[in-house]
Parts: sequence; C-alpha cells; structure tokens
Amino acid sequence: MEKLDCKGQACPLPVVNAKKALAGMGEGALEVLVDNKTAMHNLENLGKSLKIETASEERGEAEFAVTFTKGAQAAAEVCEECQPLVPAGSKVVVLSSEFMGAGDDELGVTLMKAFVFALTQQDELPAAILAYNGGVHLTVEGSPVLDDLKKLAEAGVEIFSCGTCLNHFGIADKLAVGEVTNMYVIVEKQLQAGVVVRP
Amino acid sequence: MQRCKTPHAVATFHCTADAMAVQAAAAGGCLPGRVIPVPSEISAGCGLAWSVPAEQRDALEQALEQRGLAYEAITEVDLY
Repeated sequence: MEKLDCKGQACPLPVVNAKKALAGMGEGALEVLVDNKTAMHNLENLGKSLKIETASEERGEAEFAVTFTKGAQAAAEVCEECQPLVPAGSKVVVLSSEFMGAGDDELGVTLMKAFVFALTQQDELPAAILAYNGGVHLTVEGSPVLDDLKKLAEAGVEIFSCGTCLNHFGIADKLAVGEVTNMYVIVEKQLQAGVVVRP
Repeated sequence: MQRCKTPHAVATFHCTADAMAVQAAAAGGCLPGRVIPVPSEISAGCGLAWSVPAEQRDALEQALEQRGLAYEAITEVDLY
C-alpha cells in the first residue's frame, strides 16, 4: 500500500496531493494521513467524486487515515485518455433573470438562491458568471444571492454585469460584486467557454 | 484561494411549501440560516432545505419549534 503523509498541510493541500498521487498510480491502495476531521471529510468527498472506494479511520486526536482502494475500473476513469476534452475552468454561467425558470416568481427567486448556493458547493467552479437583463439585479446591493456571489468572486470566479442593463434599471451605482462589462465581453466569454450554463 | 468545508446543521422538510414558510419567517430576521438545495449527502432527491452553521443548530431548532414551523429532520453536513 502506498502512503502519503499530509499532516500539517493546510486545506486544500491534502486533497490536491492525494488527487495527484491517485492520478499517478494504477490499481492498489493509497493511505493518506491528515491531522483534522475536515481534511478527512474532504478526502472522503474526493473519493466519492472520483468514484474510488474510500475508508476512513480516526487514530487519535490529531491523526486520521483515509484509504483509497483503486480498482481497474476506477483506474481507467482517471487515466489521461479519459479526461474530458473541455479544460477545467472553461465553464461560464449566464444569469439573465433574477428568477430561475418561469411560472411562479416567488419560487423562481428561491430556486435562484438555491442555484447560486449550489454553485458555491462545486469542487470545480465556473471561470466566469455573466449577468445581463434582469440578471443584474443579482449582482447589486440587496441581492438575495450577493453573499454567495462574493464567495465565488473570492474563489477566483470572474463576475461581469452588463453596463447597459445596470443603467436601464437605474442601479449602476449599486453594483456590489464583480465589474461592469459590455456586449463584446459578454459575447467573447460565451464563445470561448467550453460550456455555458443557464439556470 | 483556499476553500474549506465546515459543519452545518441542515433542516429538511416534507414539502417545498414548508421550506418556503421557514424562508418567509426568516425574512423578519428572527430565524437564523438560509435556504439551500437538499445536499446530496442527505438525499438523492430534489428539494429545498434550511442551513445554519453547526453551532447555531440549537437556536434553529428552538426557533422552528417556537414558531410551529414544520420540518422533517436536522442533519449535520460539511458545506463550503
């Protein structure tokens, strides 16, 4: 069994290093040691996302072991030939309304809150979020999803709001996250994206 | 940029209307937490849930009981 000692490493290094080690090994087991429960849970989540069998063991106050057992099928799933063609981080999310879907606006607002929260929970975040038309109400002061958008911006997601739209609604001075942009950037970002997601 | 998951207490509901009732009650500011989609660790199905940091679990439970707001269960889940 291969071993990786990640004790003393700050989050997310244990996950990054375990992922690297798993990608470089064939079938077999890898034991990763960490010194806190959160790191253990994050490694368990890594196992889930890679579909690799994972077992955890609490060995003391500051020692937790997570063992990944990589089978033939899992090895094939992480092999280089099987990596998606779309590079990580090339996804763009478009917010064109303050509601998610149509039919009931109260439900639409709640669904949008849930959608943006779910975005923050992804291990692989989108490269950019584009807000236009009614979607710019989400990037200004008082927006019900502002805290989550700020979290995404802090994590490196670029957030762009359509300047024409902010002016149209008279809220240009209320922009609270990201930057103002124009139609050229809105078009360019979508054309360059591997995937465009619209809630 | 580092992102770490932290423990949260997540209340689930029998129906969406119950979740939205909690959201309406929270609009007054007297109920901690926020609406989230039900985490996949709790259920593979769809639906809305209510989340607070784990240390506010008792406050949430108390507030829900006091206001007679129906919920199904409260589960601890690690969230970003």
